[in-house]
Amino acid sequence: MPLHHGNMTTVHHVQNQSGDSMTSKTTQHRRWALPAAAFAVVAILSGCAKDAPQDTWQPAGENARKIDNLQRIPFGIAGIVFIIVASVVGFCVFRFRDRGQAIPKQSHGKPALEIMLTVLPALILIGIGIPTVSTLFQLAKTSDTQCVVNVTGQQWWWEYDYPVQDGCGGIKAPIVTSGQLVFPAGQHVLLRISSRDVIHSYWIPKLNGKRDAVPGRVQTLRLEADHPGIYAGQCTEFCGLSHAYMRMEAVALDSAGFAAWVENQLAPYSAPKSGTKAGEGEALFITNCTRCHQVNGILDSAGKPVIARPDKYVYSGVVPNLTNLMTRTTFAGAAFDLMTQSCKAKLWSTPADQFTAAYLQGVSPECLDTVQLREWLRNPPAKKPMYADPTQLTSTGGKYRGMPNLGLTEDQIDKLVAYLTERK
Amino acid sequence: MAISERNSAPALAGSASSAFVTPSNAYGAFKRPVSSTGWRSWVFTVDHKKLGIMYGVVAMTFFIVGGVEALLIRLQLAAPNNKVLSAGAYNQMFTMHATTMVFLFVMPMAAAFANYLVPLQIGARDVAFPRLNAFGFWCFLFGGIFLNTSWFLGGAADTGWFAYAPNTSVAFSPSHGVDFWALGLQITGIASLTGAINLIVTVLNMRAPGMSLMKMPIFTWMILVVQFLLLFAIPVITVALFLLSFQRNFGAAFFSVEKGADPLLWQHLFWIFGHPEVYILVLPAFGIVSEVLPVFSKKPLFGYKFVVFSGAAIGFLGWGVWAHHMFASGLGPVSVAVFSVATMAIALPTGVKIVNWTMTLWGGKLSFTTAMLFATGLIIEFTIGGLSGVTHAVSPSDTQQTDTYYIVAHFHYVLFGGAVFGLFAGFYYWWPKIFARMLNERLGKWNFWLMVLGMNLTFGPMHILGLQGQPRRMQVWTNFRAGEGFFNLAFWNRVASVGSFILAIGVLFFLINVLYTTRKGVVAPLDPWDARSLEWMTASPPKEHNFDAIPTVHELDEFFHRKYEEDEATGMIHQVATYEDIMNDEATRADTHIHMPSPSYWPIILAVGLPIVAYGIIFNRLLAVFGAVVILLAMFGWSMEPSVADESDYDPPSDGGTTKELATLG
Repeated sequence: MPLHHGNMTTVHHVQNQSGDSMTSKTTQHRRWALPAAAFAVVAILSGCAKDAPQDTWQPAGENARKIDNLQRIPFGIAGIVFIIVASVVGFCVFRFRDRGQAIPKQSHGKPALEIMLTVLPALILIGIGIPTVSTLFQLAKTSDTQCVVNVTGQQWWWEYDYPVQDGCGGIKAPIVTSGQLVFPAGQHVLLRISSRDVIHSYWIPKLNGKRDAVPGRVQTLRLEADHPGIYAGQCTEFCGLSHAYMRMEAVALDSAGFAAWVENQLAPYSAPKSGTKAGEGEALFITNCTRCHQVNGILDSAGKPVIARPDKYVYSGVVPNLTNLMTRTTFAGAAFDLMTQSCKAKLWSTPADQFTAAYLQGVSPECLDTVQLREWLRNPPAKKPMYADPTQLTSTGGKYRGMPNLGLTEDQIDKLVAYLTERK
Repeated sequence: MAISERNSAPALAGSASSAFVTPSNAYGAFKRPVSSTGWRSWVFTVDHKKLGIMYGVVAMTFFIVGGVEALLIRLQLAAPNNKVLSAGAYNQMFTMHATTMVFLFVMPMAAAFANYLVPLQIGARDVAFPRLNAFGFWCFLFGGIFLNTSWFLGGAADTGWFAYAPNTSVAFSPSHGVDFWALGLQITGIASLTGAINLIVTVLNMRAPGMSLMKMPIFTWMILVVQFLLLFAIPVITVALFLLSFQRNFGAAFFSVEKGADPLLWQHLFWIFGHPEVYILVLPAFGIVSEVLPVFSKKPLFGYKFVVFSGAAIGFLGWGVWAHHMFASGLGPVSVAVFSVATMAIALPTGVKIVNWTMTLWGGKLSFTTAMLFATGLIIEFTIGGLSGVTHAVSPSDTQQTDTYYIVAHFHYVLFGGAVFGLFAGFYYWWPKIFARMLNERLGKWNFWLMVLGMNLTFGPMHILGLQGQPRRMQVWTNFRAGEGFFNLAFWNRVASVGSFILAIGVLFFLINVLYTTRKGVVAPLDPWDARSLEWMTASPPKEHNFDAIPTVHELDEFFHRKYEEDEATGMIHQVATYEDIMNDEATRADTHIHMPSPSYWPIILAVGLPIVAYGIIFNRLLAVFGAVVILLAMFGWSMEPSVADESDYDPPSDGGTTKELATLG
């Protein structure tokens, strides 16, 4: 950072052999050098955002805290070393500039000094290396896992599925969801991360570092949240066209709240009342959406369960499960909100002790904001860049990903929105 | 021989010596060209100095292209959810910005300096294989042009310069961009590989009498280390790029997960090349500042041997740290621990260099020309980049920092504050040698200070952006994740965008300086900086044959030691000869019969065949066959070409002396 320039501006000696007439304005430079340096210091000290949702310096869980404790050491040392180097260079620049002194002795160096200045940093690095390796192995520990979630990345969203387990307070049937990772606070949650297409990377900065989602591999990452709350993340391995829109949110609930969430996820399907807008929406949903999107328990007009079977042209073969869409506050890879901005801000700033209750309300009617959802239904590729038009993808053999434009009318969109807002 | 006469020819207007070659009748059609003026004298040249200048001009052009790409990126990121660039265009932009800056600017600009200066610094008349040298340049130029034509032929590569599989497969990157990228880098790779072989042979075999390796100028030393890195690193990326091209064009399955491939194969191959590549980019700049600092401190480089060996140590250790780019890939804690510690170890030889540069300043007699300002600026800016590097050698921290703007900040301090500042120091320092004009110092100072201000405003805030959670390679950022307060991430994104334009204005001052001094510049004296090494002990620009007499070397910093001696009684350094004395001295020993390699048609013809094959692979296989025929014909012509034009030898008008024969193989 530009701290040193205050010093450097004070030396403005010019070699005149070039023949250019150079007027050195040394004094003028000195006058603003000090304020400039002072400004730089102030700017840097106060230079951080407050409450940035992805701040790596504000750990909210055990593993993130281990990393944070570790990284403060090398940052401190780096800062001190920089000040030393900058001061010595600054001193030389000031003290030894050509004032007509004699040509210095042509010394080729002092080996003893060199060796000392190699051994000293070596010792410092050993001092950094030991806690690094120790922390590394602590972070790799999985033996005390209390809860397992499978996390699968694909262009450009994350799927979370909860296998049947005694962990997480007990899950009796598989749960498949997306958009928000919901997990019990205070528990050691093991994510088993993989990918269905390219490499992605799972990162919730306040809870832990990142782990790549590599197709063909299952890799693990442990998360713990000290308190209930919502934590932001972002796919951090460049994964193609819509990488910037592949976001995630991790939601920690207290154990009773998490049990309630599980129960709701596994609750039987509640069909909309026939004759209502939502009822017409259900029929439209079956015609237009269920080829790809699963809603658990939905029945067709013949009373048979409708199972989503995305055709072979959908690249990863899987699209988000919409059974409980309104229990999460985002859609389309957590890129867009189902809530008004004020409700969202309120939810994110809810204190830990009230957070679980607030989150379990889902998207309440007064908070519902269907603007983005409507825009999405009107023309999804216009809202989020995707390779969703098979006609333009001859080189991929017509394989596409992301939701194509279905050409829905406004009336159809109204009815679909009415149906979807009941998916709680 | 009016050897100390100033050459006042316009900077780019051809060689100093007049036409000296005559046509050859040896093989009919396979004559060697003879022009020593006009465009032919450039297109068919094998002269390392002309090739060096051409490398420089083309690399500078690509620097501007890459810079414009960077400005577009910063415009897009100046505001949340911005729409300057679409997602597709943005992804192409950052891919090509990195590719251009790494492969088409910093590497070839280092090659420009190496080509021009290494033979001069070691007292040689050319490189060992002049035709191969010309071939390398044309490969670079045509490869770079080929790569950039992708913009107009369906879109450039959009997978990042690291091109992680399987995102590079056709299914995920359906345009031809990645094909252009893979084949284009293959072609520029030939330039690097041939250049490496050429310079290694040149440095090891063609040094002036008396110049032992430990009396070799430090710039040449660093270039030698870099050439060995290239020699071993380029084949690795070549293999990787072939796998990729076969994956995309011929149905191979090297990276098809559904057929059992492991995509981490690409990451290992790429970074085994990619990490030494970092040192390939930065060591030439280290060499340059290690020349500039002593000259403007009037002191030898402090701890020359330590700098040499630390350079070599970086060269070796650079091969053992590649997986630090993969700390989040899931290698397991044991591998990560090993690479973490190895990465910390590489900080030591790097630190040695910073110590030695600083101690070179200590007790010196410092004059702050623009070249010196850039060199001193490098010490500071590179130190920032080096120290932030140590913070992510700590692998657990790196899992927070990797793929965020913190890394972008880090490597721009290393590559801009390090490599680019070094190259700019080199421009100002060697300009009078190459073009016989002084770059204007007043414009130079504007150039320097605007670049310092611009780079710190651009890349400094990126430390904060990254540590507060902004990932790289994102077309948009949102206000919601920018946090609150005045100094939130939105503020720092705007600062970085403003900074990038200040930086661009700084670079613009350099271009203005070049134009201004080409028209109105002051003619440079032969030894404007009171320099220390052999390249200053000849005409500016040097004649085609570099030295009338090959100097005999007795000391490190030979030229300085011929000018100055230490008074044994007082220990004072005093001047014993001026550069005129020394050059007049040398003139008396001028060789009478100097044999120089003749120009050749074939390097450019052979090189032009390569992009034809590459276009053919992408668009039409028949075209590829045609390109292959061109290549074969050129190889035939190359091998049948007489090794010299008849009577191409140069006889300076003086009596006596020995016959020097060099580079008869071309």
